[in-house]
Amino acid sequence: MASISLRNVHKAYQGNSAVVRNVDLDIGASEFCVFLGPSGCGKSTLLRMIAGLEAITAGELSIDGQVVNDVHPSKRRVAMVFQSYALYPHMSVYENIAFGLRQAKLDGLTIDRKVRRAATSLQLDQLLDRKPAALSGGQRQRVAIGRAIVREPGVFLFDEPLSNLDAALRIQTRTEIARLHREFNQASAVYVTHDQTEAMALADKIVLLHAGADMERDGSIAQVGSPLDLYHRPKNRFVAGFIGSPRMNFVKGTVLEANAGGVSLRLASGEVLAASVDGRGLRAGDDATLGIRPEHLAIAGGEATGQIVRAQARLIERFGECTYLHAALADQADAHVVAKLSGDVNVERGRTIALWAPPHACHVFDGDGLALPRLDVAERSA
Amino acid sequence: MIALRIREHALAKRGVSYMLALVWLAVTTLPFLFIIVTSFKSQEESFSSSVWDLPQRIDLSQYESVLHGAFFVYLRNSFFVVGLSVLLIVLLSSMAAYAFARLDFPFGKTLFGLVVAAMIVPIHATLVPIYLLIRNIGLYDTAFALVGPYVAFGLPISIFILTEFMRQIPRELEEAACLDGCGPLKIFWRIYFPLSTPGLATVAIYNAVALWNEFIFAYVLTSTPAHRTLPLAIWDFQGQYTSNVPGMLAVVTMTSLPLIAVYAFGQERVIKGMMAGSLKG
Repeated sequence: MASISLRNVHKAYQGNSAVVRNVDLDIGASEFCVFLGPSGCGKSTLLRMIAGLEAITAGELSIDGQVVNDVHPSKRRVAMVFQSYALYPHMSVYENIAFGLRQAKLDGLTIDRKVRRAATSLQLDQLLDRKPAALSGGQRQRVAIGRAIVREPGVFLFDEPLSNLDAALRIQTRTEIARLHREFNQASAVYVTHDQTEAMALADKIVLLHAGADMERDGSIAQVGSPLDLYHRPKNRFVAGFIGSPRMNFVKGTVLEANAGGVSLRLASGEVLAASVDGRGLRAGDDATLGIRPEHLAIAGGEATGQIVRAQARLIERFGECTYLHAALADQADAHVVAKLSGDVNVERGRTIALWAPPHACHVFDGDGLALPRLDVAERSA
Repeated sequence: MIALRIREHALAKRGVSYMLALVWLAVTTLPFLFIIVTSFKSQEESFSSSVWDLPQRIDLSQYESVLHGAFFVYLRNSFFVVGLSVLLIVLLSSMAAYAFARLDFPFGKTLFGLVVAAMIVPIHATLVPIYLLIRNIGLYDTAFALVGPYVAFGLPISIFILTEFMRQIPRELEEAACLDGCGPLKIFWRIYFPLSTPGLATVAIYNAVALWNEFIFAYVLTSTPAHRTLPLAIWDFQGQYTSNVPGMLAVVTMTSLPLIAVYAFGQERVIKGMMAGSLKG
């Protein structure tokens, strides 16, 4: 069992600006933590710093209470599954899994027992004599996972382990990883991905990272929390836009009224929408942005007049189980919304549609892009 | 119509390519054919018949006389010197290549530049200093006198080839081995060395061919037949059989045979190793 603690961790390559900045983070023992973020946000660098494959420019990294900044990777009790699998091509599956144990100078019988147990758990029993080149992508990934679990580490590190697999295999392996983590639940896991579906499915805790000017201003971490926390209570527009698929709709407006009980916004089209957020940070006349997820929009009945957005249907994507309606807001040709509607919804391209946005599902972001606290999320999501 | 013209053009291009290939084949193989054919002629026949005539009868007497001479002493010396030199070149150049390809150390790039620059040092400019050095350390006219210069001159190109080869081995393998508890030496020996087999074969065969034919160092640093290598055997036989052309060519044929065997066996690997890095896999 191992917990991880990062204090003010910073990484910059020689002569360049920082790629990871001011990271303060605690990952509990047996917790499954996912680093999520767009390309270039430093999530893999952060993982590699935990592994010891990258030096930490400043700050402190502790594993199980021991500062490990200068500890060799093999002494940190971590095991890593690489994006490219990193199997030794000249060794058999058995030798690949046993390699780390041999370096640890375990006796032959123990090595054999551990390798065969891991192989059984991963359904690799029949493949132990094969070389990696003779395996499929999914089998190689399982060998890579076997090589990690056989060492019984305190921390599992996964660097985008599913990105080389096809869609079906990705879901299967994702489930497998979740099962293995439950089986070896004494170890904590840190998992890097840019795929929010993977993050939502696997994580106990998501660490969402951002890059560029946001990182320079606020540090690398945009928000830390459980998957549903990030979904329901995003701290800012970046988090709100990154979590959820299709991404959240953002519509600009002006504050009509704001108080502790809610905010009313007038959109450019003249429609007025209320949001159940604590509006004490805003004043009437301020610019603000309304955020509403596609799955929370619904087609309003013909007589509905309040809490609606009128938009012209531009593109309709039918997936069977649901329909994505892409629509341009009335009087705002450059503003688009996407609504996730039922699979058999009756809409036609070119028609103007009234979309109902319930107040409890609306988010409001101030002029700096920060979210106002939502009022009745906990009750509804419980 | 256009398609037909394109096809005709492609056929013409292929025809020219085949012609050029045939000419090159003739340039490289005809002298060798001449050597083999003439080595089976009697001394009289070599004077009386045309150069390209086949022997009227196979005369093995030249081979018998060569084999009864000191040929096997030269052969043994060549195997020893070339074998030891190639072994040392492969070991030292692979270690150096790993360091240049994967380890960060001060002035690494400058040092690699110097190693590559050493390829342009002409052998002849170093003959006198090396001769004096070998004499001073008491190795003159021993098989070991040749090993030092051979290794030194074989290292630059070998390091160059292997460094490029090792740079293509994914860094993740090194990182995985590092997490598995390996230090740089173990990573080299357990991962990089076995994975560089095609490159090592290239280096071994390339150097073996070059050293098997090496003449000038062997001539300067050895003086007695007991320590001389095969290229000097030809020199010696040339003196011994000044007018015996078939005898001399029998020596040449027998000297070339091990080389041809090695090249025929390893040609594919040499080309693969040389091409490494030229294309993205």
